Amino acid sequence: MADLIKSFRPCVTWANARGAWPDMIFSTRVRFARNLAGFPFPNRAEPRQLAEIRRLALAAAKETGLFSKGHYLKIEALTPLERRFLVERHHVSHALASAVLPAGAAVANDEDLSVMINEEDHLRLQCLNAGFAIEEAFKAAVKLDEALGRELPFACGAKFGFLTACPTNAGTGIRVSCLAHLPALSRLGQMPQVLESLSHLGVTARGIYGEGTYVLGDFYQVSNATCLGRSEEEFCGNIDRVIRNLIRQEIAARETLLKGRFKLKTEDAVFRALGLLKHARTLSYEEFMQNISLARMGAAMGWNMGLDFSTFNQVTLLMQSAHIQAAAGRELSPAERDAFRAESLRKKLV
Amino acid sequence: MLCEECREKNAVVFLKLAVNNKVTEMNLCPACAAKKGMGFGLESGAFNISDIVGNMSGYFKDFLPPEKKTLRCAACGLKYSEFKESGRLGCPECYAGFEPQLTELMSRIHGSSQHAGRACRGGPELKLSKAETCRRLDELRAALKEAVAKEDFEGAARLRDALKELDG
Repeated sequence: MADLIKSFRPCVTWANARGAWPDMIFSTRVRFARNLAGFPFPNRAEPRQLAEIRRLALAAAKETGLFSKGHYLKIEALTPLERRFLVERHHVSHALASAVLPAGAAVANDEDLSVMINEEDHLRLQCLNAGFAIEEAFKAAVKLDEALGRELPFACGAKFGFLTACPTNAGTGIRVSCLAHLPALSRLGQMPQVLESLSHLGVTARGIYGEGTYVLGDFYQVSNATCLGRSEEEFCGNIDRVIRNLIRQEIAARETLLKGRFKLKTEDAVFRALGLLKHARTLSYEEFMQNISLARMGAAMGWNMGLDFSTFNQVTLLMQSAHIQAAAGRELSPAERDAFRAESLRKKLV
Repeated sequence: MLCEECREKNAVVFLKLAVNNKVTEMNLCPACAAKKGMGFGLESGAFNISDIVGNMSGYFKDFLPPEKKTLRCAACGLKYSEFKESGRLGCPECYAGFEPQLTELMSRIHGSSQHAGRACRGGPELKLSKAETCRRLDELRAALKEAVAKEDFEGAARLRDALKELDG
């Protein structure tokens, strides 16, 4: 088994349940898109320029002192399993994980800070915090941005701000997002309207791993759709308001699910899900996510599911395929993974 | 529940896609899901949403104003038409090269075309590797030669200054 995976902690701090609504907001992320002046964007750069950018970016990350005892990675040198592991930890995107040309990442020892190098932009730096913590994540991301900005000349202008490969990211280059668990709104079939209304507020919702990914287990990555023309604080404030509103809607939906004709149905669905999680002998990640979503909602509704929210969150990460294979200590076929997943989940749920 | 695609086997893959803030649901059997390239997409990490829902490259085309075919970025050579097609710029200088067109696009995407966030400083000079410095010197020398051949003396003078600065 790869040494890289062993060098990461078995549990991550950003998955601890904390903050005001631990049952609804899994984590908060603030990222900045940055590019180096004097180089073409990654899609137009030659391999040796990409290697040069990576060298400069990793050296700068080291110089900031924010990544001591951290991980400095060359993506194209990693095995598919190691890449998959980094995606599951939300440190690199699917796009970066499939890099064949020089690409990199720096991940802090605590795994709260990370930098993707040569993804769509030269640098995508992020702060990932547990729970609903926009202000905290923003402050830490700004600190990282400023520290890197002392080492590297970022491409920027007075009119369009920080310049990025895609014009949708130019300006502040900020993306603020919260990973929200909205099972009751989903169950009541209200998500289409909710998403529709979000789109009018300059907000988008995506799947659990970000851009271009599936909605899994009723987890939505809610983030700002635009990032030019207002201050970073205003973009943060907008997402903060939207999330609070979503929470209110989810609470109302959960109350509806516990009323009248819905109550028995809800309770039945939650406990059937728990039964399946406890007793299944083979479990795909998709099936696991559908059912853990209901069990998570059940716990929020006050029923005893045998797990607290921190454990729910950790399990959600640990049941992913690369994590399963890391726990098994070897590569597994999809069928073996499903069996191993079911078995290790049973042990946690006794 | 039967698979939506073949209507024969049981659906075991239940997917929800969020695209453009709309949720599409699909319930498929493993064979049909695999055919759609997403059966074990999460396991392999190799799926591509554009295969499933059609891509959005038309997005920029509709919003960018038409322009002369010859318009291109002076620094990296990216043609405006290529940008319209891909939606991706080639280098930071493209923002200056396509400024009027981008101003219109930015207003449509962001509702504004004026940065109002944190000011950005130029940052320090980079300690480039020898290889990159050589590559840039070669590029400048070639451009200088071309400028002289075209009798563009103003451009040549600028390039000569840049060469001097880079060469130390």
